[in-house]
Amino acid sequence: MSERSLTSQAGRTSPTPGWADPKPARVTFDEWQDLFERVPEELVEEYHYFPPNREAFSKYLFPPQTFAIYGMRHLRRLKYDNSLAALRMWGFVQNETERLFRARQLGRRVIATMGDLGAVPVIVNSFPDCIAFYPDCIWWTPFAMESRVLFDAAAELGIGDATCFSRAALGAFAKHSYFPDPDLVIASTGASCDDYSGVEQLVERFAPDMMWVEEPMRCDMGRMGPMGPMLVKEYERVVERMEKLTGHEITDDELRAGVRQANRVRKLVKRLRELAFREGAMASLEMMVVEFGNLHHYSDITEWPHVLEHLLATAESRAAADTPVVDKDALRVVWVTPPADPLLLTYVEDAGARVVGTEYVINQALEIIDEDKPPLEAIAESFMAASLIGTSKARAQSAIDQAREYRAEGVIISGIFGGSHCAMEGRLISDYVKAALDLPVLEFDVTSPSREIALQIGTRIDAFLEVLRSRR
Amino acid sequence: MKELLTPRERFGLLVIDEPQDRVPVFPLVTAHAARVARIPIRDYYTDGIAMARSQLAAQEFYGTDFISFFSEVGLVAEALGSRFSYPDDDLPLLAEPKWSELGELDDATADPMKDGRLRVYLDAISYAYEARADTVPILAYVPAPFTTAQQLVDQEAFLLGLLTEPERIHRLLEYATCSIIRFCRAIIGAGGLPILVDPLASGSVISAEHYREFALPCEAEVIRYLHRYDLDIVLHICGDTNPIIHIMPESGADLLSLDHVGLETAIAAAGDRCRIIGNFDTTAIMLSKPQEVADSVAAMVLAGKPCPRGFVAATGCEVPVETPPENVRAFVRAAKEAGANADWGARRRA
Repeated sequence: MSERSLTSQAGRTSPTPGWADPKPARVTFDEWQDLFERVPEELVEEYHYFPPNREAFSKYLFPPQTFAIYGMRHLRRLKYDNSLAALRMWGFVQNETERLFRARQLGRRVIATMGDLGAVPVIVNSFPDCIAFYPDCIWWTPFAMESRVLFDAAAELGIGDATCFSRAALGAFAKHSYFPDPDLVIASTGASCDDYSGVEQLVERFAPDMMWVEEPMRCDMGRMGPMGPMLVKEYERVVERMEKLTGHEITDDELRAGVRQANRVRKLVKRLRELAFREGAMASLEMMVVEFGNLHHYSDITEWPHVLEHLLATAESRAAADTPVVDKDALRVVWVTPPADPLLLTYVEDAGARVVGTEYVINQALEIIDEDKPPLEAIAESFMAASLIGTSKARAQSAIDQAREYRAEGVIISGIFGGSHCAMEGRLISDYVKAALDLPVLEFDVTSPSREIALQIGTRIDAFLEVLRSRR
Repeated sequence: MKELLTPRERFGLLVIDEPQDRVPVFPLVTAHAARVARIPIRDYYTDGIAMARSQLAAQEFYGTDFISFFSEVGLVAEALGSRFSYPDDDLPLLAEPKWSELGELDDATADPMKDGRLRVYLDAISYAYEARADTVPILAYVPAPFTTAQQLVDQEAFLLGLLTEPERIHRLLEYATCSIIRFCRAIIGAGGLPILVDPLASGSVISAEHYREFALPCEAEVIRYLHRYDLDIVLHICGDTNPIIHIMPESGADLLSLDHVGLETAIAAAGDRCRIIGNFDTTAIMLSKPQEVADSVAAMVLAGKPCPRGFVAATGCEVPVETPPENVRAFVRAAKEAGANADWGARRRA
């Protein structure tokens, strides 16, 4: 039995009976099946989504094999952290489609929030029995399945390959089988990704109830600037619409509680980033999943923090014992824009690098929200840190700051084939980084879903890492 | 007509208790796929790539909602030492069971990578998985312990042993279960969803009492193992299941694939716990005219659709090898039409 401690579902610190994590390592799909066979039955039974619910269907501690059988073919090519906490995280995240349908079956309201990546769910989740989710995150599904099904569905509705992979969300809306039809769609647009604004407009035909929220441009006049009050008014509209939908008049205390629960997640992730980037205590693939959990907590604000606490306990333990999961001496890179194809992260780490900083266009979701201010003002202020409502220079500055802090040796910018802002700003960010730090920068576009990464991209990554090695 | 959902998406909705655009359609096309691909049946069950290509061709040709790998129920028994003959253009035949009578067991466990033709299945699953698993579920029939045991020991001795030597039978079943679970594990690793098939446990062969005492616990043990992976498990028992339909859900199966039992009876007995798969007469699909097939399938689907947990339009057993393709097509077309859920789009737009 492991003496290692972790935080249980009840929030207490307790050992994990019958399980001791093996020496930290990134393992293959097949190796995880061997490990899973050794996981005690009691642990498979222990973890449930939507706690305190204990329905049999709500278990989620299942290995990548489970989800691969249901079509997630890419899982067979990735490498995974071999800790129980990571297995738990993967099971929880992969289970989200089912979880959303079960939420509806359990009588909860399911609200699709789109475009703003992090702010509106704080408000939605403050309402009782309401669950916010981002259809935007479906953009990973074609890669996870190695499939064009959702892209083809989007193409039939008017958005083809000249648009960002986020168009998969439109295909998912059309098919009614990736998430339940939402009770309400709250679509944010404005000073943001114009590809996705197009997707949102086409989604409207599938949404019986839809509202639009304006995202302002950030000015160089302080965080809030003149646009802050406008955004607060937009959020007041969101509150009004939610009150109308639910028949529940929300109190200031409920909104503050919503802010606190979002902050709980954000603080856990902040510490995990620190441990991953400085100590190599978590690998880049798991960390990308962790960071994106800040958007909508994978549709379960109650259970996701427990998953994170489990991960954090594992990472802290590794840091204390100086047993990283990735080689601390590996080449250190900052990654700009999330790679739609997660295999790229596995490839780069296999090639001898590790990620020590990220600018995944979700800076707004990483911000700690000020708990002393009026909630809507505080949420608006945190959103004003958003990656995509400011200049490319600001995004570059975020990458530069992290590169300095964690002594990065290079920067990788993975654009999205067809993504309009990527085409515009990749070179700009590259130039800013080179000017500020004199670091090598690799810039490429992620191509369509496939079982392997394109040979040319692989070769360019290999060559880039050789350059970094030669500079040591 | 192009359909909105892929078979994968449709199946995904079925297993989380959500309505689908239409009932999934699953004539059990197994070795008949060799006819579609125009290869000898012996190639189908001895060459995994040939098996996969046949199944892929048949799935595309007929527009069914599943790919399902199966040749015969002796698969695991052969891997454990029973001897089968391979006719050129027919399915394997049990030539000599491992044991002629109930006796002492060895400590063998079948190795899926080496023994018998288990590897053929794994190769087939892997190939089909890479080809089409994003859109179509890949299923693999695994003979259950009770059926496997009857391929390990002379069948007459086995059936007599149910009455005279139950302890030896139980040990033999445990012996078979070990290898079956190991095979299931390999199938999962290859990307296939195991279907447990137990035809020799049907009411045509044994009593309900013997089913409960011997077959059911082994089915339950294998299904428990598969549920550790959160897989939705089909239990297929062809033949007469009238005497056991009410206890089959105790196996833990999520879907029951049935043959000779009235759909109303099956739904009343198990439809609140399991999705029902069934159960078109396999003689009829081979010998009837296409329009007769279509009419009967439509009636079957109308009878099955009210099943509370969901219904899959299927044949009761394998589509016979020599079934005219136009009959299978008539089956699929009629099942899709009769199984359409007219409320599906409308309900969601409302």
